[in-house]
Amino acid sequence: MNELEKLFHRIVQRVNINLRELNFDVSPFAIELIPPDQMSKFYAFYGITPDHPPDLHFEHSAIAGSYFLGKSRVRNSLLYKSDIRGDELKHKDQTISFKNLTLTLTKDEIIDIEDSALIKTLVHNYSHDPETPEKFFIKDTLAMDYSNIHGSPSDGCFLAPYATVDLTTMRDCVIGAYSYIQAVEISHLNVDPGTIWVNSPGKFNFFYKYPLNLLDRYVSLSPDKVPWGILIDFIEERKIEFQRVFDFVNLEAIESIPKTASLDRYAVVLPNIKIADNVLVSQRAYIENSTLGRGANAQENCFIINSLLEEYNITAHGAKIIETELGSGGFVGFNSFLCGKKGSRLKIGAGCVIMPHTIIDIEQALEIPANQLVWGLVRNKDELAKNSIALEKMSNIEPSFSQGEMHFEGNGALFVKAFKERIHHILEVNGAFFADGKNTGHAQKNQKLSLNTIQPFQFGPMEGMYPNIRILP
Amino acid sequence: MEHYLVKDLMVPISEYAVVGVGTPLIEAIRVLEKAQEIYTVSKYQHRAILVLDENGHIVGKISQLRALKALEPEFDFNDTIAELQKFKFSEAYIAQLQNESRSQRKIITERALREAANKKVEEFMQAPSPGEYVSDDCSLDTAILQLTAGPHLSLLVTRNRQIVGILRIADVFAAVFHEMMTLKP
Repeated sequence: MNELEKLFHRIVQRVNINLRELNFDVSPFAIELIPPDQMSKFYAFYGITPDHPPDLHFEHSAIAGSYFLGKSRVRNSLLYKSDIRGDELKHKDQTISFKNLTLTLTKDEIIDIEDSALIKTLVHNYSHDPETPEKFFIKDTLAMDYSNIHGSPSDGCFLAPYATVDLTTMRDCVIGAYSYIQAVEISHLNVDPGTIWVNSPGKFNFFYKYPLNLLDRYVSLSPDKVPWGILIDFIEERKIEFQRVFDFVNLEAIESIPKTASLDRYAVVLPNIKIADNVLVSQRAYIENSTLGRGANAQENCFIINSLLEEYNITAHGAKIIETELGSGGFVGFNSFLCGKKGSRLKIGAGCVIMPHTIIDIEQALEIPANQLVWGLVRNKDELAKNSIALEKMSNIEPSFSQGEMHFEGNGALFVKAFKERIHHILEVNGAFFADGKNTGHAQKNQKLSLNTIQPFQFGPMEGMYPNIRILP
Repeated sequence: MEHYLVKDLMVPISEYAVVGVGTPLIEAIRVLEKAQEIYTVSKYQHRAILVLDENGHIVGKISQLRALKALEPEFDFNDTIAELQKFKFSEAYIAQLQNESRSQRKIITERALREAANKKVEEFMQAPSPGEYVSDDCSLDTAILQLTAGPHLSLLVTRNRQIVGILRIADVFAAVFHEMMTLKP
């Protein structure tokens, strides 16, 4: 057993120890999760910007194909094609509030990854845990393909493929495939696949669970197989396009991009695209034959194909939009899969909120009116009626409401307000409202980004591991 | 009274109405009725049926309450309710869902009665739980404490790890309060 295999074995054992009370063994899922030969095949890289000077620390780790921005530390861990984006971490002297308490940070926040394996995982945002304001920790955790750890410190957890944990501190939890959890704090929770749970204690509680027999078609996981389903195949079919952008050190710049917009060097862009002012296209985004209106925002791992996105809309991390027209101010949440067909397009009205982890997969044309909230599985008009509600009607709900497999309890107005405020915040930080040199965000700041690459050991017992490296400005 | 032991008050298993695993509810009720008929010659009134496995071991008990529960329609969303509890929905919300579901389904219909009649006893029997056993040589004090601390209306009496009888709360009640009535003022 070489050092890489020893490291992975040790991580798996540590995760299992944490999950023993749930009687959950990650070992079967971990087998063949990382082909060792891939770990020496890909370089890792990091970004340098005036706003985010490098402060990186790699120790006894393998980080193939992974990207780092901002302040991060990786120890005894294995990262494969993962994005560790520390561009929204909290800063020294920043004051944070929690209920009636305020706290001033004494140092910059760090993403601290220890004894963990992250596979094609996105780590972003800042820790929302007031108990550890300066440390966004990820320890004893195994995260599988296309999972998102978004502002969510994790200790002893397993995230199945396409799982997202958002603004939630988690301890000793299993998050099933394609589940989305936003619940402030969870512990010792085993979440079934396809669970959508948004809980703000004292304010609202939203719950939906996909029928498993229907979800299986899109993403599925069992101990004896690698993950499979339409969502996995969809990405596999487009893998070759990403190889091209990662293989070349210098790619030709696309001249039609406005100066106020940002197209990441590691995004895939295929003809014919139109990109308006203040657009942000993040790395590992895939845009093909599509138009992105002013201030539109295409986040990491998203796919936009044969689609028209009007102004100020958001395609969140991992969302996929195919043969779709999205009206202005629309929001498509994490890992959603909106799949119109040629000649049977999907039209989504202005101001709609497509909740994280929504699947709209239609065979006949479908139009969603403006200002609707949509969730779950929608394959036709009947399912749209069951899994959507006008935002105005939602705002009037109190104390509870159920529709189809969706359950809601609390104040609907607060729920809608929370979404709307978050959408505005995302547009703001991404520079969608930039004008006359004011309101700069990632779209403008990322233009001052340069990249460096680092390489693993290629031979010997340390093959695939990276040397211990400390990178400072 | 203080020298009373559990075995002095228990109903011996041989006196009890018993059915095997796999028996339909309607058959179990017939067995109970027969046992009631011979109540006049036996000193024990029967209100419950014991369920035995193929080896003759007691694996459950059917009280009147359990038999009535078998009549309740099975809610499609039992799993959902467990999930809603897990994901922090309030008891009030869950109760409201249950009421809405109940109001849509009647219990006393020919179809519901037929379905319930054919249910197997193991589907609705109460399986013995750890706090439900008491040794036959225990004092009545111990048994009273066990009954008052737990949710059971009767206890399974054991001797050498075999269930030999049932200690019913009604018999304990009668014995204790008979003793109280005989106290001199």
